Amino acid sequence: MFMHHIFRSFFAPILILLLFGTMFLLGHYPNISMILGGIALFLIGMEYMESGFKAFSGSLLESILEKFTSSTPKAITAGFIVTAIVQSSSLVSIIIISFLSAELITLTSAVGVIFGSNIGTTATAWLVSTFGLKIKISAYAMPMIILGIFIPLFLKSHTWKGIASILIGLGIIFLGIGYMKEGFESLKEGIDLAQYAMAGYAGIFVYVLIGAVATVIVQSSSATMAIIITALATGQIDYANALALAIGANIGTTVTAALGSLKSNENGKRLAVAHFIFNIITGVIAIVFIYQLTELVDHLAAAIGIGTENYAMKLSLFHTIFNVIGVLTVSPFIHFLVRFLNTLFVPKGANKGKPKYLDDASLALPSTALSAIIMETKHLYENAFDIIVHGLNLKKKNVLSDMDLNEVIKDLYTRGSFDIDDFYNHWIKGIYSEIIEFSTKAQANMPPAHIEELYKLKLASRDIVEAVKDTKHLQKNLLRYTNSSNEHIREQYNDIRKGLAELLRNINTIATTEEEDVIILLISKAKVHAKRYDILTNGILDKLIRKDLISKEMATSLMNDSDYAYNISMNLIAMAEILFIDIKSDLKKLNEEMSISNEEVDLLIKDNK
Amino acid sequence: MSIKKFIESVKESLDLGEFEKKGKKKSLKHLLEKLHSRKEILDKVPKKKLNKKEKKAYEEEMAILSLQIKKAEKILEELNSNSSRNSKNHKGEKNGK
Repeated sequence: MFMHHIFRSFFAPILILLLFGTMFLLGHYPNISMILGGIALFLIGMEYMESGFKAFSGSLLESILEKFTSSTPKAITAGFIVTAIVQSSSLVSIIIISFLSAELITLTSAVGVIFGSNIGTTATAWLVSTFGLKIKISAYAMPMIILGIFIPLFLKSHTWKGIASILIGLGIIFLGIGYMKEGFESLKEGIDLAQYAMAGYAGIFVYVLIGAVATVIVQSSSATMAIIITALATGQIDYANALALAIGANIGTTVTAALGSLKSNENGKRLAVAHFIFNIITGVIAIVFIYQLTELVDHLAAAIGIGTENYAMKLSLFHTIFNVIGVLTVSPFIHFLVRFLNTLFVPKGANKGKPKYLDDASLALPSTALSAIIMETKHLYENAFDIIVHGLNLKKKNVLSDMDLNEVIKDLYTRGSFDIDDFYNHWIKGIYSEIIEFSTKAQANMPPAHIEELYKLKLASRDIVEAVKDTKHLQKNLLRYTNSSNEHIREQYNDIRKGLAELLRNINTIATTEEEDVIILLISKAKVHAKRYDILTNGILDKLIRKDLISKEMATSLMNDSDYAYNISMNLIAMAEILFIDIKSDLKKLNEEMSISNEEVDLLIKDNK
Repeated sequence: MSIKKFIESVKESLDLGEFEKKGKKKSLKHLLEKLHSRKEILDKVPKKKLNKKEKKAYEEEMAILSLQIKKAEKILEELNSNSSRNSKNHKGEKNGK
């Protein structure tokens, strides 16, 4: 407490002193100020490009990453291409973590994408060395920024706004590179950093460390690469030391990823570990074989027409080559790596009542947010399934088997009591409120079509919760009358249990089958069977009372409880239509039209009497 | 012209609006095939050998199947008539120009 007080008292004055100190230093060394300003502009430009690509590509990026990751080579290629185009490995990481959380791809594919993304990220170095250093700011960067600012004034669509953002980003990046280059050139007149060049392995280790630390500070390996290339192009650093700095930048970026994953779920953490292992192995290989790699770069550079003195492009080539070698070396062991990763960050203790898929990383994209909500609603249903089955005093394994339903209801779950309230509070309430909260957050960035889907999913969650609550109301009399000496009331309550067991079994089939005809028939059958609880209309209650087979109290209970059973059935059917049918692509187009109405259900019952 | 309008006009000129309908028709035909083959299997069941409970379940399934087949055929018919009407209109517009 005392320390906290001291920290709070001194924090603001120290910060102000530091700010003044920095301003004083930058005022006296305008060249450093220009370089730092250039780095800042470069980072701002990267942000603009990332948000631009997000808006411009819409769900295209996600579709590519989802569809083309079925095998490791495909995943690596997809990771490479997407990262090279969008120039942001962090955006690709966010998408991949959210896909993993929503179980849209496997951990092996996700690791493959991250490997490919590492090669893709070397495109920034090519961009800087090929265009960035040669571009005339006045000729390209400024018009790009101006165009980017004016486009959204006339063209309001998301796509155009995305294009505008990309143009502004690219313009600011070139502007940043221009400032960095100018800063380094002017700095050379005062201080020559090249005099600190170090030869041999000592130099390599020192510069690897500097590269890593710089990347951790700047939080972007692309920005570090831009600094290295501009410093190299202006002759402020030695070529050999620049190679070591590039290796350091690759290692430093894993620290950035690890820091980012701290807020993420176990999948994000596993991917950060995979990234760390990959970059460390790649870094070690590059350090050990640095001289051989330098020779290889010289040969390849000559072969593809890069000039002997064009160190900036040779550095980009080196950066790409050692990342490709890293991928080729580590990829054959990807399955061992995944096996190891799966042993990490395994949640301990009972997590049944905690959300499994609602990771904030999924909120970045509408479709991943929607997938996360679908998965979480299914998780909610799994929990509700257990509660309803046990609340009806049935055994889960029997309900899920093909055992005769008359036998299923005879095999009791417990002779004692099952506290639904307790399970509701621990397994349902928390997840339900998290789904609603997450949906509200997700809705903010969603297009209308996704919002409609989201609304349906919220209804499905509510249906599940209502079904559990109704089971609780039903349970009291169900336990009492299934043990009654009156065989008639016993038979009625066992019939309710049997009907609901059949429904739960059918929903399980619907959830697991791919056959559209089976799904449609089971849903229709469930709707017809739910009518069995309408004991007032079907004459069962009337018959029992008239023949004096049950007491008035029993009749009232049966009437109320049949209502609960009907509501449970209808809620579960409505939920199944949204959660297990609506999302299956082929049936999605047909479900609403093929679904049978209440009138048709009545007609079927009438015809079948 | 905004990019949205441009995409819409391209979709219209290339008849891409029909694409969704064709997908629906394909799904519907596929479903109808499955429902018919299920009905054929049920038709072959020796009804006389069924007990009262089995017979009731059989009749219920048959009734649901027949209803679903009827519904699917009706939707398919509507889709077919809509698309033939649209293609006639489209040709008419082109000739008018």
